[in-house]
Amino acid sequence: MNILSNFQYHAPKTKAEVLDLLADIGDKSKMLAGGTDLVIMLKEKMIQTENVINIADVKELSGIKFTDNGVEIGACTTISEIENSKELVEKYGALVYAASQLGSYQVRTMATIGGNISHSSPCGETPAPLSALNATVVIESKRGERTVKPEDFILGNRQNILEKDEMVTKFIIPEPVAHSAATYGNIGLRNAMEIDAVNMAVNIELEDDKKTIKSAKLIMGSVAPKPIVSEGVPSLLVGKELNDELIEKVGEAAMSEATPISDVRASAEYRKDVVGALARRLTKEAYNKAMEA
Amino acid sequence: MKQLITLNINNQNYDVIVTPMDLLVDVIRKAIGLTGTKKGCGQGDCGACTVLIDGQPKLSCLTLAITCADKKIITIEGIANEDGTLHPIQDAFLDHGAVQCGFCTPGMILSAKALIDRNPNPSQKEIKTAISGNTCRCTGYINIVSAIESYANLVAEKGAK
Amino acid sequence: MGKMYEVSNRYNNYRDYTKEFTEVGRSIRRPDGADKVKGKVQYTDDLTLPRMVYGKLLRSKHAHANIVKIDYSKAMELEGVLGVITGEDCPIPYGIVPHNANEHALAVGKVRNWGEPVAAVAAVTEEIAEKALELIEVEYDVLEAIVDPREAVKRDDLRIHEDAPNNISYEGIQVYGDPDKALAESDYVLEQDYYSSYVNHGFIEPQSALADFDVATGKLHLYATCQVPHYTHQQLAKVLEMPLSKIRITVPLIGGGFGGKGVASQADFCSALLSRKVGRPVKITYERSDVFATNNGRHPCYMKMKLGFDKTGKITACDFTNLMDGGAYAGWGIVVLFYTASMVHIPYMIPNVRFDGKRVYTNKPTCGAFRGLGGVQPRFAMEQMLDQAAAHFGMDPYEIRMLNAAESGYTAMSKMYVPHTEYKKCLTECVEKSGYKEKHGKLPFGKGIGLSGGYYISGTSYTLYLSYKPHTVATIKVDEENDVTVYCGATDIGQGVDMVMAQMAAETLGVHTEDVTVIPRDTKISTFDLGTFASRLTFATGWAIRQAAEKINAELKPVAAGMLGIRGDEVEVQGGEFYNIYKPNKRVPWRDVVSSYIQTNGPLTKTGQFTPPRRKGIQQGGNIGHSPSFGFSAQIAEVDIDLETGKVNVVKITEAGDCGVAINPQSVEGQVHGSIGMGLGQALYEEMKIAPDGTFCNPSFHDYKVPTALDMPEIDANIVDAYDPSAPYGAKESGEGPIQPTIPAIFNAVYDAIGVRFTEMPLTPEKVLNAIKEQKAKGVF
Repeated sequence: MNILSNFQYHAPKTKAEVLDLLADIGDKSKMLAGGTDLVIMLKEKMIQTENVINIADVKELSGIKFTDNGVEIGACTTISEIENSKELVEKYGALVYAASQLGSYQVRTMATIGGNISHSSPCGETPAPLSALNATVVIESKRGERTVKPEDFILGNRQNILEKDEMVTKFIIPEPVAHSAATYGNIGLRNAMEIDAVNMAVNIELEDDKKTIKSAKLIMGSVAPKPIVSEGVPSLLVGKELNDELIEKVGEAAMSEATPISDVRASAEYRKDVVGALARRLTKEAYNKAMEA
Repeated sequence: MKQLITLNINNQNYDVIVTPMDLLVDVIRKAIGLTGTKKGCGQGDCGACTVLIDGQPKLSCLTLAITCADKKIITIEGIANEDGTLHPIQDAFLDHGAVQCGFCTPGMILSAKALIDRNPNPSQKEIKTAISGNTCRCTGYINIVSAIESYANLVAEKGAK
Repeated sequence: MGKMYEVSNRYNNYRDYTKEFTEVGRSIRRPDGADKVKGKVQYTDDLTLPRMVYGKLLRSKHAHANIVKIDYSKAMELEGVLGVITGEDCPIPYGIVPHNANEHALAVGKVRNWGEPVAAVAAVTEEIAEKALELIEVEYDVLEAIVDPREAVKRDDLRIHEDAPNNISYEGIQVYGDPDKALAESDYVLEQDYYSSYVNHGFIEPQSALADFDVATGKLHLYATCQVPHYTHQQLAKVLEMPLSKIRITVPLIGGGFGGKGVASQADFCSALLSRKVGRPVKITYERSDVFATNNGRHPCYMKMKLGFDKTGKITACDFTNLMDGGAYAGWGIVVLFYTASMVHIPYMIPNVRFDGKRVYTNKPTCGAFRGLGGVQPRFAMEQMLDQAAAHFGMDPYEIRMLNAAESGYTAMSKMYVPHTEYKKCLTECVEKSGYKEKHGKLPFGKGIGLSGGYYISGTSYTLYLSYKPHTVATIKVDEENDVTVYCGATDIGQGVDMVMAQMAAETLGVHTEDVTVIPRDTKISTFDLGTFASRLTFATGWAIRQAAEKINAELKPVAAGMLGIRGDEVEVQGGEFYNIYKPNKRVPWRDVVSSYIQTNGPLTKTGQFTPPRRKGIQQGGNIGHSPSFGFSAQIAEVDIDLETGKVNVVKITEAGDCGVAINPQSVEGQVHGSIGMGLGQALYEEMKIAPDGTFCNPSFHDYKVPTALDMPEIDANIVDAYDPSAPYGAKESGEGPIQPTIPAIFNAVYDAIGVRFTEMPLTPEKVLNAIKEQKAKGVF
């Protein structure tokens, strides 16, 4: 299919120009970064738009910048830049791994981390690890800046909290606290190019004894219109040492909170089973890593 | 609205008139006539349309041509040596029987070359990961992976690029 | 063996005795390879012609509906639109099997599957053509859709085709021996239902057709992605009501076929009809969703198989019932139906066989020919049942196969004759190489190893319409300007037959393969060939080329003898030189001999042909599946199952194949790797999904998942030492045999891993996980 929608193309060079455009025509525009979602939707005529604002070449919107308190990742940073970042691997391995699991390598050289969350697909790969890593989403408009947690950004299938004049400009991820670790996992039919049946990220923080769980976070994707942050899992884990019995309960708790649908890719029942499997694995893996951290 | 842009493809500038809606793959194939870039699925799933943009393998079927105005694009026609002799990666594909119908071959070679350019010493898994977005239905990928491995070894031994 | 071998002088050929071939058996580089890696080759969609315009097809969103009205007046008003056609422009039906042809270039009166084209438009750009499609108004009277063949046979009230009661497209019964008696007397009888899934070839190059109808001369030149230009030629002549001689089909390179391009596509007809209507060349190239709507993929089969065994484990009988989901139209249906009947007769000796099959219409894109057609489905059943029987008899699965395996010279009950087989060697070699015996039944829960065998025809014995003409013709021209030119209409779809033909010609002519040019794939220039299907090319073109080349040698050898001063029968040719067989250092260059011949006698052109033997005394449809020879393969799959998610990871496949002499071993290996990849995809996840109302749910590579590089197992492919004396250069098929064992080998391995038998494809993680949960509940682990 060719693109029929007759849109105006804008290629601003600075963030200020982008925000100006958004203030003017944000209600009649789509943002183009990697294009791996937008261009397909235009081709398939799932959407039409009067304006396309290409932000891929706005330099100040991309890049991985380490700060005293952690790291800042620009919204237009490509997924492959994250995947290939040797600096990120050590402390933010869950995000790097999630990046490596998104689409194909070609998709990853095009797709951006800001686009991944802004597209707000239920099976997006990066929102869960960003959430597990306690990231903050920075949203800007001409009116100013506001911040939000990744889990509060997505409201539903392709719905998010962005106002028409707003955009995601960067993610701030804090330095991981001592004795903590985050993990990511995903399950699809194939070993690559998958739209995940389920994806999940877990973060475990231990007390100074390196055994007792101080805090825990488990976020699952693809099992509801928006990522689900488990309430049951932290309450099970905090204050305890992990053991096999507890791991089983973690799986059950996660399964009970997931509300997946049946579709062409997997049934709801199977997705729940996989939620259990991933919750057990990732919790165990995060706990073991946290003991070393 | 039509616009005149300059595309740098295989180190040569082409002035083309495009609309913002035109996809890079169509401009390369139809306006410029470099038909080595293939269309297999139109949705970024098969990788046949892969080209290198500023050295990175990208899907020309999901790229608006207008976004490429000041970028360097390499297509399969830009891989062989200037005199028409084959690039070592092309030789490797032929020596290892990595080419059957040939339809995935241009995209496959570009993905593979980009991999070796960024990681001259890849593991087998890294090779498979790098080409996992290039669907081949003829070869089962086995001989393609061997071809890329052998090219990587050649680069390691002789510094061939 | 009949006429075909008479001219071929093979028993006098020294190289056949010694198998010391020089051009055959070499893994040479593909002659088209350099242009392929440079992106220089042109496939159909890469072609343009002066004044060329673009065509697009409007496809139905309904799976079953009467067409009340089509109004394309608004489309015609759009600037740049040159013409629109509908079913009214193409009332004559076509079909690859002429006697039940019921397809139309565009739906006539009724649509029978989602995506069936109802109108086609030609416009100056693709964009305008697409926009024009949106302006065509089609009024449908939507009918209930039937998507399950088990339901379709009960619905005479809802006929998809008026002339097909109970929606039965074709049915056939074959009985050989007395299966009822044999089963009653058997020591052990197994009976099981199986389902094989609805899969598509997934070739990467979508179909494309570029038609150039010259209104001034009334001639049509079609460039098309077609595996069977001859059959397309015939059908075009019928639909367009033109003489064959006014139609020329050129097949540019094909980007994968696997049977899917083994029928004329609607793009072929519509581009031609539009070109005739608008007086300009028209190109129609499919999107991926068009490819799925066209399908022609594997027939899903609801099978019941009953196998009887005597007390030693020998098979006594096979009773096989098969309900085939044919989709909306006839296509290759009859052929595939009877192939499934044939494919139970080999590679094991079965003295009593019944086949009872129906091919049924449903409101789905039509099923047709897909690599290994008709074999993959019954093999899936039988190879699992052999494992079950082996367990019953306390035998190793390898032993029960060896006990029942046919040997060279075997004639099956269906009169299928196996001139040569090394099947036992295949089984033994892959069992030894994989360490099967040490692993089978001994691996920890979740890991397993499975064996399966298979075979496939190496050429068909019959044409799809009654005709006694040769199945293939090859003409070889030898001259000073071009060395050797081989004309043969065989179609390279990526498998490399152009190269194989050159190697075979070079072998007999005693020149280098590089000195041979092959002119294929053009109905005006190349000589006649039936097409690429039934793994027939190496065998059929091989004999034709060999015959032509031997006729050339018969002319050149006396000239060489004269130049060498010896007798004609003392001359051999190899490596570009004629030589004295008794004094090999006495030589004369092949080119000098050619010059001498031509200067004395004029041009040198010879033609060879091949027609396979026919057999007598066969039952209804029983000629289908006959073949001059057969290729064999055995495979062993090793799996590692994720017990928490049910995901089956195929770790390794060990293969051993009998393709006779491998003309090009690297290409044979490539065929094996590719077959395994496709088998693995069908075994694990590939499946076209159709909603109850007939809507196609996943017509894209996004959701129709084919294996990626990361999904492929390690493959150890082995070519067993073999030489088929009935075959040219001892060579037979390798393109379709190797897919036969892959699926059952994986299923047998999964059984070995978790102790559960699966009888339906694909083996999704969900099904496997549920089985694991049941095993867990039973306390198996």
